[in-house]
Amino acid sequence: MKRFQDKTTGLLTNIDLKGAKGKIIYWTFFAILIVCCLLTFLPAVWTVFTALKGPNEIYTSSSFFPENLSWSIFVDRVKDSWNQLKFGKSMINTFYFSIIQWLFKIGVCTFAGYVFSKLKPKGSTMVFTLILWTMMMPAQMRTVPNYISFLSFPFASRSEFGIGINLLDTYWPLWLGGAVDAFAIMLFKNAFDSISDSVVEAATIDGANKVQVFFTMMIPLSTPIIIYESIMTLSGSWSNFFGPYLIIQDSAKQLLPAKIFLMSKDGTVKQNTYLMGLIIASIPQLLIYAFFKRYIMGGINVGGVKG
Amino acid sequence: MKNSKPQNTKKTRGGSYYKKSFLGSWIFAVPAIILMYMFIWRPTVMGFVWSFFKMKGYRPMNFIGIQNYIEVIKDTEFIPLFANTLQYVIWSLIVGFLPPILLAVIINEMVHFKQKIMTFLYLPAVIPAIAVSLLWTQMYDPSDLGLLNMILGKFGIAPYQWLNDGRFTILWIVVSMTWKSFPSAMLLYYSALQGVNQELYEAATIDGAGMLQRAWFVMRPQIMGVLILNFVRQIIGVFQVMEQPLAMTGGGPSGASASLGFQLYNYGFVTQRVGHAMALGAIIFVVLIFMTIFYFRLNKKLEESI
Repeated sequence: MKRFQDKTTGLLTNIDLKGAKGKIIYWTFFAILIVCCLLTFLPAVWTVFTALKGPNEIYTSSSFFPENLSWSIFVDRVKDSWNQLKFGKSMINTFYFSIIQWLFKIGVCTFAGYVFSKLKPKGSTMVFTLILWTMMMPAQMRTVPNYISFLSFPFASRSEFGIGINLLDTYWPLWLGGAVDAFAIMLFKNAFDSISDSVVEAATIDGANKVQVFFTMMIPLSTPIIIYESIMTLSGSWSNFFGPYLIIQDSAKQLLPAKIFLMSKDGTVKQNTYLMGLIIASIPQLLIYAFFKRYIMGGINVGGVKG
Repeated sequence: MKNSKPQNTKKTRGGSYYKKSFLGSWIFAVPAIILMYMFIWRPTVMGFVWSFFKMKGYRPMNFIGIQNYIEVIKDTEFIPLFANTLQYVIWSLIVGFLPPILLAVIINEMVHFKQKIMTFLYLPAVIPAIAVSLLWTQMYDPSDLGLLNMILGKFGIAPYQWLNDGRFTILWIVVSMTWKSFPSAMLLYYSALQGVNQELYEAATIDGAGMLQRAWFVMRPQIMGVLILNFVRQIIGVFQVMEQPLAMTGGGPSGASASLGFQLYNYGFVTQRVGHAMALGAIIFVVLIFMTIFYFRLNKKLEESI
């Protein structure tokens, strides 16, 4: 266990912590944190326990804990819920969706970042400003016009030419719309900015062209940022609800977040199965968090104030 | 702070080693620019244009001036919806703004289990937003099936209506939103606190400043920038709330939790009043763009001061 002496100075100093008053304040803080941890955890624990309750038990007992708990009950509950909810297909869809989304986004945004950071053709500063503006433009207004343009892609509306492809019930609107993200472009630009120009220049003199410089220098030298953005993109696909809900009506193509929303509207799903569904839907992101915690928690420094 | 390096940028402007090929450089940014145009700039502009058109289904027909706007504003629901939306914003500032700051400050003081506590507190942020909304809907269940009524029952209190209590539906929705969003805000403030120069605390201590004085005179000025930015960003974000009422209450009971964003969804995709959806979108846009300009001004000022 760490000692108070190790503490860096803050509101409470080492000297404060030697006195009784400092100690009381410190442990009060600690208690507040424990209470907050409980508050964040209680809903999650309740979800798990209720999900494990039997089908009749949820209505008869108002106990926090399930009456019986054993490995076989656990397995049965998961199996029953899985069979009723049929999430398998939409989980595969979401996985597939997230991989392609990741390819599109990293591809489009790193290239753009490269242009604005290193190539800097004439006018790039202006275009970059335009891109930054989009970051804070209220997004809600775009919902309906975007939907209209998906009916006759790539035109803005059907009346213009009477032609165009209907992209509803495909993943294309989501992939293309999700591929470009001003924040990611800015992130990559900043990462590439920190790579010294003289290194790039040396490589150019040695005969490397733009593409080679990009793949052999830019990408390898900014791996942390690319990993961070990759994690965010991959996990984002598992929580993106509204867009997929609007665009994909075909139940065979449904993505998981929209699927659990539809589940909640289905009156035949009982509370225990319902909550089990929510747990299943949260598992992918929880796994990503468990494996890449370091990057996710550290990522906040990447974004700085603009987070 | 990290992204503004004016000296550096100026030196390399025009990238001497690539000057020759203008098009060869732009080509890499073409996908981003086309997509940006098609998915962000064009719909924003077309939303404005079409808000002055009569729409037949999703097809713009003929120019009708500000008819759509008049109909949207004259709709008896408009004022209550606007008030509801403001209620969302105000409740979210009351309930959701201070806790992450206090938690960040407290965590910053911790010696024991600091990382573990952070890991635990971050949990809600990694649950999909829609799952959080649906989970809280279950917790708010008005019968004693819900967690909260179960707890009330343990203290012998009769089940409460929660989301069905129209006076406070918005508050309860905001509580669930706060549960989901506080960890990332907390992390943001925490990293700002980590950036505060330790020597300033020491100097203040030597000058005889107590704990509260250190908090007010050393800590506050250093993190004020992030606080204000997040304050504005929270207003902009919550003003557009839509998914939560959609998932949790469907706008009910009797419209008590419907927001402008939710109404836009209804106009656009449920009742098929597309022209009205566009006009409402434009109204929301105009309200928020002022907020946004303010945000950018502030951001620039803060970056310059850092």
